[in-house]
Amino acid sequence: MKRAARLSLFLCALGCSAARAQNPTAGDLASLEETAKKRHAEWESLATSLEERLARILPCDPRSTTAIAEVGRMSEMRLAALSDYLRAASAKAFAETAAAKLLLDAEEKHAGEAARERADAGQEQTAVDIQSDALAQSIRQRSSLQDAQKSLGDIAALIRQRAAKTEQQAGMADKMVPLLRDLVAKFDARDVALRDETAAFELERTRWSGYYSARQSRAQTECFITQTGAAPQAPARPKGKQ
Amino acid sequence: MNSRILFAGLSLYAATGLIGQTGRETYRQDYDAWREAHANLERDAGTGGPALIPQVDRAASLAAAFETKRAAYVKSAAQNASQERQFLQTAIARVSPDVAPAALAILVSGELQTVTRTIDRFATDKDRGIQQLRQSLERERGTLAALNGSIEARQKAVARTTEASAVLEHARLRTSEALMAETSELLQNSVQLEKENAAWADYYEKLTKAIQDASAPPPRVEITTAAPRTEPAPGVPRARYVGAWTYPTVNGLYHGAQPEFVDLVIHEANGHVDGTLYERFKLATGSTGDPLVRFDFQGDFTAAPTQRFPLVTSDGAAGTVELIPGPAFNLLEVNFQAAPRANKIATGNFILVKK
Repeated sequence: MKRAARLSLFLCALGCSAARAQNPTAGDLASLEETAKKRHAEWESLATSLEERLARILPCDPRSTTAIAEVGRMSEMRLAALSDYLRAASAKAFAETAAAKLLLDAEEKHAGEAARERADAGQEQTAVDIQSDALAQSIRQRSSLQDAQKSLGDIAALIRQRAAKTEQQAGMADKMVPLLRDLVAKFDARDVALRDETAAFELERTRWSGYYSARQSRAQTECFITQTGAAPQAPARPKGKQ
Repeated sequence: MNSRILFAGLSLYAATGLIGQTGRETYRQDYDAWREAHANLERDAGTGGPALIPQVDRAASLAAAFETKRAAYVKSAAQNASQERQFLQTAIARVSPDVAPAALAILVSGELQTVTRTIDRFATDKDRGIQQLRQSLERERGTLAALNGSIEARQKAVARTTEASAVLEHARLRTSEALMAETSELLQNSVQLEKENAAWADYYEKLTKAIQDASAPPPRVEITTAAPRTEPAPGVPRARYVGAWTYPTVNGLYHGAQPEFVDLVIHEANGHVDGTLYERFKLATGSTGDPLVRFDFQGDFTAAPTQRFPLVTSDGAAGTVELIPGPAFNLLEVNFQAAPRANKIATGNFILVKK
């Protein structure tokens, strides 16, 4: 059980550091975004004019299949650039979530520590109060202790200030933990949405590829029926026999 | 000299050297040790004589050690927290919707309509070639319809990511603001603790003075030819000089030749001081010099905070040594100069920690 706990902590630490190592900088992400936009614009200008260009080319003209292949290739390049961008944005996002979780962990520890510091300040305040009482008794026998008494009074005031501060900070830390828990939940929700978006994109990517194959296939059919009048039919299967 | 350089480095020393060995548990142990040493000083101060002063010095030294360690720990913890929270200062990563604009869907649905119209146009045509073309168009329409569905699904996913990101960004701003306020409070804590440290040092000095003043014998009316022994400066207890001192194994502060280890022992009796320093310096590679220095010194305490004594090295050279109390009770700066000799180290300046 202990080993499993240690292993999971180790894996978490490993994962977090790996996430940090792969975390692209804002500059990398901006550059990938720029590339994705550029590839999109290049593909779009060819894709929107494809049908118009094909309409002016005879079905069996090799320029027909070349034009479709070119748009298909540009589509692949666009989708690859978009995939790179999404992967990098996801890596950055997941690293942020990992950092937020570490922050929550640290804040939970800090809240515990703040409570202990509050208790420490209380203990020190009590100790100084006892010292002050004892010194007040001693001054009756030795008046030269008055300067020391004043100093101890200053210390007591400083400790009181600190005790008030630690009280306030412990309260702040207690409020911070639920705030960070909520933030981590929102980081998680964003990551889930981002994973869904990536999955939707990957599906769309395969469908673009399927569409350009089908478009190329139609161009070949158009050529074939223009040359022969009809494409050869697949031999009919004898009914009832498999 | 060099005191300023050395003391400027003290904050660094506190922030690095001590941090490695500090932690809440460690400084709380120091607190317990201090309170134990302090015991009933205030009660005893009413009647106690000079015999009480070593206890005051020890309590002062332990208080300084505790307060220094705690301030360093608190400062380091606040700085770590500040660093950990830094990432929340910048906006979260967001996926730009411009990389796959909505116009893409219009293009695909336009194609889908065109293909559907063409299929409809050939719907009643019996020509075998046209029928084959129609079948091909239907396959294309199938891929376009599927693509259209995928684009719609992705756009919905993009909208959900955008919304989740907006909600997250709002929460980040709110949390970051609250954390900044907390961080700024935390960063001030060590300043408060340093004030307390100084206040305790002041208190123990006043306690010492009060005991010394009350215990001082009445002035004797007698003529003497011997030089009067002077007491140390009222504000500097002898415990700041007397005792066993060593050079820290990590993050030691020095000027000039770098010490490897230093062992200094100072005794005091009736205002008379005698001490022995034994030291090994780190020499540059290839150096044939003698890395060892040993000298003895003695003299009387003066009123000045910086105590200066004549020294004699183990090989008979003369010189002087200065002992300068550090900013904490457990720190002492040593600055010595001896007559220059071949292959011998003649000067040294470093800060020692009380054993």
